[in-house]
Amino acid sequence: MARSPAKADFFEASRKAVADHELHRKLQSASDRHLDHVDETRAEFPPFESERDTARRIKEESIAHLDELLIELRRRLEENGCSVFFAADAEQARNYIVGVAKKNGLKRAVKGKSMTTEEIGLNRALIEAGLEVTETDLGEYIVQLRGEPPSHIITPAIHLSKEDVGALFAEKLQMPYTAEPEELTAEARKRLRSAFLGADLGITGANFAIAETGTLVVVENEGNGRMSCTLPDTYVAVVGIEKVIPKLADLSHFLEILARTATGQKLTTYTNFINGPRRAGELDGPREVHVVVLDGGRSAMLADPVMREALYCIRCGACLNVCPVYRRVGGHAYGSTYPGPIGSIVSPNLFGSAAGHLPFASTLCGACRDICPVRIDIPRMLLHIRWKESEDETRAIPWPRGAARARSGVVRFARLARHPRVARMLGRIAGAFLRPFARDGFLRRMPPPFNNWTAVRDFPVPRPRVRRDTAQEADSSGRVP
Amino acid sequence: MAEFHKLIARLKTALESPAPSEPHAASSNSAASMPIAPSAQRVELVSGFAREFEAVRGSFLGVLSPEEAAARIASLAREVGARLVAVGEGVTLDAAVFTHALQEGGCAVERFGKLDDGERPAALERLARCDIGIAEAHYAIASTGTFAVVGAPARPNSLTLLPPISVIVVHVERLVLDLAQALGALGPDLVSAHRLSLITGPSRTADIEKRIVLGVHGPKTLYGAIIWPRNG
Repeated sequence: MARSPAKADFFEASRKAVADHELHRKLQSASDRHLDHVDETRAEFPPFESERDTARRIKEESIAHLDELLIELRRRLEENGCSVFFAADAEQARNYIVGVAKKNGLKRAVKGKSMTTEEIGLNRALIEAGLEVTETDLGEYIVQLRGEPPSHIITPAIHLSKEDVGALFAEKLQMPYTAEPEELTAEARKRLRSAFLGADLGITGANFAIAETGTLVVVENEGNGRMSCTLPDTYVAVVGIEKVIPKLADLSHFLEILARTATGQKLTTYTNFINGPRRAGELDGPREVHVVVLDGGRSAMLADPVMREALYCIRCGACLNVCPVYRRVGGHAYGSTYPGPIGSIVSPNLFGSAAGHLPFASTLCGACRDICPVRIDIPRMLLHIRWKESEDETRAIPWPRGAARARSGVVRFARLARHPRVARMLGRIAGAFLRPFARDGFLRRMPPPFNNWTAVRDFPVPRPRVRRDTAQEADSSGRVP
Repeated sequence: MAEFHKLIARLKTALESPAPSEPHAASSNSAASMPIAPSAQRVELVSGFAREFEAVRGSFLGVLSPEEAAARIASLAREVGARLVAVGEGVTLDAAVFTHALQEGGCAVERFGKLDDGERPAALERLARCDIGIAEAHYAIASTGTFAVVGAPARPNSLTLLPPISVIVVHVERLVLDLAQALGALGPDLVSAHRLSLITGPSRTADIEKRIVLGVHGPKTLYGAIIWPRNG
């Protein structure tokens, strides 16, 4: 489901999510486990850093020559027997795919995990056109049964415990309740296998598109992507324009870093190469292959010298797992197909100003930049979008509330800080005044307009010794007491 | 680890036979230019592959001659009570050696040839009913424990996807160090002309609380063997 985020939602949803301790536990344990694996596999692979640099360089060059590469890709794909369709936006892409389904009289679609098809809201369009659509990645299957969108771009059901899944399967699939991942997976396998064998349309995204050979590369662990592009008679791949790389030889540099960062594996279980329809006499592969190459706001990012870097993203999902905000609120709070740090950058560009508040949902701590396998400077871009949003009067986003007031407050504080003695004195007066109202050194509620602060965090009451004194002591002793 | 030592012992035996010809095209890797006996290098690759393959939950059958491999696979089929086994056309090997051993062991064997479009659904159903699928890989990658399996009419790609147990063998001369070498060896022409899958272990998922579960869509069990002919 394509979700163009609504502003009010982030406040509402994140407030609820922050209070949900069970959600924290799940997010925390899943992302910690992921980060442990990542550290291990990276440590075992000394060339990791140089592979990152190489991959980054190839992306820079590919994006810089995107036009030529897409022309070559199209030519090679067509030579291989694929139909190629360039879609300027989500609607064009949906209409084309629905058109293919209608033309071929297709009834049952199976989908491999694909964020791009989520982005364009393909499922709803196909269902409205009368098709039955089954998500076949286990995590996607789970969230589809729940009627939810995925909450993570790699682990769609990261917000659910095995007990949640057990209860879901008991209710929706009428199986006896169990919380054993083995048994739950076996049940899903049984049901999805028959879906695969009965499907007439297979749909996936692609991780890479190699211009030189006209090949789509789909990376996965479960085998559902491989089924989707092998069994049904019609196959559609939806590929963002930024996925193209020049040569087959370039691919290894990406594969060497993608799984290591995404899941902590050296390589995913399956790396599938799709060139075109099955050849005469072959058992495998579709009769028709349609490649939908999607712009959907990406060319606008290309035009912006700062935002261009976001097109280097290989969608490993690691920045979500390290982000202190994501780890607190989870993917659904962002209300966008792409949550987390990278999502906060691409969402306003793909979905328009409705997502313009997301770049403010970040602490700019830089953990995302450090883990990014292609070294995307996410904080820099977040600041860039914040700046654009705040300069652009026509967009007039109401969030963050009182940005102008905050700015004038900072200016006043800066002026005050130039007079340390006055600042210290004011601090002491304020502290003495507020201390009787504080509990454990914090104020939990304040009257307007200060409740803008206390609505979202507690206010620390100045202690008898204010910051400046502390700083002086730190100077003389060499460390903060 | 016992398997590992047995493996080294087998390799030592194998090394006593005369050295085979140079396995693969000159690589860009600097280590490859060091003066190492080709056989020693090959042993390195084999032990590296075995280690990585086991690390991704593959079951390594060993370094075997074609006949040994056939016997081992036939006994495996007996152990799991397999009735129907799919065998794909070999790359360097004659798959008949597997077929005969399996048939002697009482298994029905499914082979593949050119199909008409109309025969396709039934053929897929049959393949999905097979207990074991046996395929020979074009290349294998030592540093990741990966098989590169190239599809063709008599060697369908779904052979390593639909049956619950998958057996993949590779000739020792087609063992390469890393992904870059494998893609180099495959080359743009082969890649653009065939369905190709890199397979690293059995099908797996970690979608429920990051617990690893095998066999979610593809094979739950993956056996791998390296074929090193006695006279090779």
